Amino acid sequence: MVLYLHLHQPWRLARFRYLDLGSGRPYIDERRNLEIFRGIAGRCYRPALARLAEALETYPDFRLSLSVTGTWLEQATRAAPDVLRTLQRIVRTGQVSLLSETYYHSLAFLLPPPELHEEVELHRAALQREFGVRPKVLRMTELAYSDELSRFAEAERFHGMLVEGWEGILRGQPPTYVYCAAPAPTVMLLARHYMLSDDVGFRFSSREWSEYPLTAEKYVGWIAATPGEVVNLFMDFETFGEHHPASSGILEFLSALPRTVRATPGLSWATVEEAVELPPRESLYAPMTVSWADQNRDLGAWLGNDLQRSAFEAAKKVGVLARRAADPEILEEWRKLLTSDHFYYMYVGGHGADAGVHQYFSSYGSPYDAYANYMNALMDLRSRSLERISEEHVSETGGRIRAK
Amino acid sequence: MKKSPAELTNRELLEKIELDALAAELDWQRAPESERARRPRVVGRRLRILMIGWEWPPSHSGGLGVHSFELATELTKMGHTITFLSPFPGPYTPVQGVTFRSPADEPDEPFPGAYTIGGSPAGWKEGDIERFNAWIAGFPIGHHDVIHVHDWFGTVGGSELARRTHRPLVMTIHSTEYDRSLGHPWAEILHREHVGLEAAGLVIAVSEHLKRQLVERYGIRPEKIRVIYNAVRPSERLVPLSGRRKIVLYLGRLAAMKGVDTFLRAAARVASSQPDALFVVAGEGPEYGRLLVMAAHLGVSDRVLFLGKVTEEERLALLASASVFVLPSVVEPFGIAAAEAMAAGIPAIVSKTSGIAEITDSVFTVDFWDIDEFASRISELLNYPALRRAMGAAGRRSVMREGWEERALQTVGVYFELVKDGRR
Repeated sequence: MVLYLHLHQPWRLARFRYLDLGSGRPYIDERRNLEIFRGIAGRCYRPALARLAEALETYPDFRLSLSVTGTWLEQATRAAPDVLRTLQRIVRTGQVSLLSETYYHSLAFLLPPPELHEEVELHRAALQREFGVRPKVLRMTELAYSDELSRFAEAERFHGMLVEGWEGILRGQPPTYVYCAAPAPTVMLLARHYMLSDDVGFRFSSREWSEYPLTAEKYVGWIAATPGEVVNLFMDFETFGEHHPASSGILEFLSALPRTVRATPGLSWATVEEAVELPPRESLYAPMTVSWADQNRDLGAWLGNDLQRSAFEAAKKVGVLARRAADPEILEEWRKLLTSDHFYYMYVGGHGADAGVHQYFSSYGSPYDAYANYMNALMDLRSRSLERISEEHVSETGGRIRAK
Repeated sequence: MKKSPAELTNRELLEKIELDALAAELDWQRAPESERARRPRVVGRRLRILMIGWEWPPSHSGGLGVHSFELATELTKMGHTITFLSPFPGPYTPVQGVTFRSPADEPDEPFPGAYTIGGSPAGWKEGDIERFNAWIAGFPIGHHDVIHVHDWFGTVGGSELARRTHRPLVMTIHSTEYDRSLGHPWAEILHREHVGLEAAGLVIAVSEHLKRQLVERYGIRPEKIRVIYNAVRPSERLVPLSGRRKIVLYLGRLAAMKGVDTFLRAAARVASSQPDALFVVAGEGPEYGRLLVMAAHLGVSDRVLFLGKVTEEERLALLASASVFVLPSVVEPFGIAAAEAMAAGIPAIVSKTSGIAEITDSVFTVDFWDIDEFASRISELLNYPALRRAMGAAGRRSVMREGWEERALQTVGVYFELVKDGRR
């Protein structure tokens, strides 16, 4: 069994009005973000990490895999340093694997190189600094995966990547084996068992669910009855205490899991790094990008409508200028605007269940709000980049600007 | 061999009727949405409704005239008949099934009636309201099943008539005197509102916001209030005006509660950074002169076009051409004007208290006093075409989802809460 939890908080934008263009106002309301972080730390990070720390200590065979985005680390450092210390402590037990990803939880994988490489490098440096760890397994934002990304992982010398265990990739094979990437056979693939993962991630507290209430015994029983070599349970860390409130019994469920697994013959834990050492059953192709989001498992959650695509295209163009401006501050602000969450907020309508999930995560009244606000910030960054570029030009030409 | 209905036993006949009804029902569910919407639906028995109104097209200046006309049209399509009592002698745009009556019909009671700017009757004299209400109170009730009064002007007569003839009274509130007067209500009108609200068996409010106000300010029990929103009629094909300037449109009455000041101030903020924007104020009303002067003071006289009262054709042309619609009302119980703009695919910015914001997310909502936010929203819509398109399309879908037919059905539902089984 592989239990992998993802920790992420975006830097949400403040209301940045069109009239604020050129005003020098910050795009991000740091205080509000940290407030949100503190709230989630109290409901989720602190209690859930405490339970996981206890389980790791009590059961030396318990294994856990975690990914932590750079923006999460930044916010944790400022809002709840004790949460970060607990995390560092459990990573030191040696029973926990960390994963690589983009620092900004971004859509950099859709941008021309070297953006993706640089963001993964930034994230590696942050993990080295905070945990002294260099991960061997890569997960892309929202579990995005494609043939192209497997080649990237190979070039970056990763041993494995996480993918959604979706029929579109697996083509009738079970998600309970290790696979390898067809274009890059040294990269092992761990496929999320989405049924079992979503039983906890989405359905746990739903009273309309026929299996409600879910106990650890029942759940581990299902896992034990699942044929195969590895069951990959991948979900947001915020499942425990935030998406499902503590009153739902989710934290007790989390505590009971290692205990119940220990009592069940034939089951044992592995980290993602241990799991990718298993021999691959077969190689998989993924010509299209697959993600873990919504019912279509594509990039529709971020780039499915005209608003999202237009915002992303604009961000790409501003990226060229932001790089040219050669100002670390501008580049950082631009990268914060690449965080996938901003595009997620611009999602309109869709399937009933998906629309509900999008609304739950959004910090805006509507996708139109999200788009307008984002574009304002981006346009402001664009003019700042242009200003910087022309300053450079002036200094290069010794203050002489050539006449047109 | 199939039997003709005459050959069937009673039992077989009943079964056949039931089966046919079931088949029709299934057929109905299979029918595409558009067809379902067109099929007239008759609920319960046919009612004779005595409606006490105010304005009626073509001489209307606000949402009330549109509401009365559309509601009556749909009600008559369902087979109900309406006698519409108005203080004005017409002309009335005819609707089959609607009979118009006004005091001017009475040979011995000549009544003033021309309709002019601002929605107030010219030559309205002291005591005219009382005479109108006395005329209503003495109206021969005949076979009418229910009395339905809109807003305050006919409440005293309407409630007296209901009491005298033991007919149920329904009152629709489109806006309150508090709102129209921006918090300085005229006691006489307040009194007339109270008379109607108290006498009515059920009250219809055009938004939740208005319902809350009736509870909090007028002390009406919430159980007595039903919320039925306004709607828009799909408009015919629109022909856009030619020209390259992007039109930012206000279309509606120029009354204090509409906050047109905010529109002008926002225009002044936006004008310099949006050189190709043209701000259009279409409509007439008591604020007209003041707003003209204000535009001059703000230095935007050359950027704001005051059109005055527009014809139906001009209105449609504006709706076909505008890029952004703004309704910055201080108070807006519903906001039919915004709904009509959205139905034409124009993205709209409305104030937060507007009733229309209760039925759609595809609209920008702004605090009515927040000029910078209005200016920002206008600029955003002018500068981001993807936003304009996406919001325009989504807004159109959301306001067209339920039309006047649904509203009329809901209204009939209210009538039948009071008119039970044909016994009053």
